[in-house]
Amino acid sequence: MLSTGATDLAELLTATGAGDRQAFARLYSLAGPKLFGIVLRICRQRQMAEDVLQESFVKIWRFAASYRPEASPPLTWMAAVARNTAIDGMRRKTEVLFAVDEEGRSEAENIADPATLQPTDALDMRALHRCLDSLDVEQRSVVTLAYVDGYSREELADRFERPVGTIKTWLHRGLAKLKDCLGG
Amino acid sequence: MADERDILAGEYVLGTLSAAEREGVERLRAADAALDRAIVAWEKRLHPLTAAVHPVAPPARVWAAIDAATAPHQAASAIRAPRRPVTDATVALRKRVTFWRLSTFGTGLALAASLAAVVTVGPWFQPKATTQYVAVVNAGGELPALIVNVDTRAGQVSVRSVAAAAPSGKSLELWYIGAGQRPRSMGTMGSTGSVIRASTAGFGGFAPAEVVFAVTEEPPGGSPTGQPTGPVVYSGKLIPVPE
Repeated sequence: MLSTGATDLAELLTATGAGDRQAFARLYSLAGPKLFGIVLRICRQRQMAEDVLQESFVKIWRFAASYRPEASPPLTWMAAVARNTAIDGMRRKTEVLFAVDEEGRSEAENIADPATLQPTDALDMRALHRCLDSLDVEQRSVVTLAYVDGYSREELADRFERPVGTIKTWLHRGLAKLKDCLGG
Repeated sequence: MADERDILAGEYVLGTLSAAEREGVERLRAADAALDRAIVAWEKRLHPLTAAVHPVAPPARVWAAIDAATAPHQAASAIRAPRRPVTDATVALRKRVTFWRLSTFGTGLALAASLAAVVTVGPWFQPKATTQYVAVVNAGGELPALIVNVDTRAGQVSVRSVAAAAPSGKSLELWYIGAGQRPRSMGTMGSTGSVIRASTAGFGGFAPAEVVFAVTEEPPGGSPTGQPTGPVVYSGKLIPVPE
């Protein structure tokens, strides 16, 4: 497994923006599996996830020229493209596969794969997890279920057996606390 | 006002806005630099949560499709490469297949509630030892039409119709569609409550996560060609049942 220093990804993304097809192919081999994992969690269904991954990399190819390394780390930028595409797809569906509870998933299982981290990630992870811990348990749950598993407000309302208004309150308060804690 | 914009940006990045709200944000951020900055800031704040997600190797065909869609000589619009070589009938069925779902706003159906235990067993991707599978075959949130039960240990499939009703002058035919395979007929449904029993012996390389059951309207007695000829009226996927 090749290591992916952020410099590599940023360079590859910039080269992709200049039309370098080899750089684009290498970018896909390095970041594709990570993005696919992210998208699979949100889409829950393989066929859609594959379509979303495809669409995401087509967008990455098209918009790579607009990527600015100083604005955002490369994987953050690419993951945002993928997540937006995935969530757009999920929110547009009129019928959604009911979110399956992932039993037995504990924090200990969520071990990062070192090969796909950006160098800043370790510090950022610690800071975020510390700040997440300062949230109320429901606020923390809705934030992580939404971000990682793509839960909609309605699915959260169903899962927690609360009205959508309550879910929105939890989300807003959770976000505000996080921003405060992270010093945004 | 700044707080509202920031919360909007936060919910956008979380993914909890509706489709209409998302569209609004996407338009707005092009004109509102502060909103755009707020969104990017949230992306950076929340990105470490993706560390918990394991990478998964995508199938080779995805890259092939990306390569084809972005090759310099291609037109601007994305081109969809076919996923696998399939017959026209299968492609038509797969386009109209919708996946099994419970009403997301409450499980008023007693049947749905009794299947809730099936729903909440995860993960979605197959655990190794499951031998029992269920498909609830329906059309768009109405009462399930068929319940398909597959027992791979016993090698048996049973299909019970609950609310399936054939229009007059037509039969309903049930098809088993394995990944990349032509649909296989499991017989025609009679009136409500009838049961088809079949063996899994003919299924060959049973990959439950990729199996779709579909019901089409056919002439009386079923399709004359051995492949679906009529429209899909019901469809559903297999779910593992906990043992």
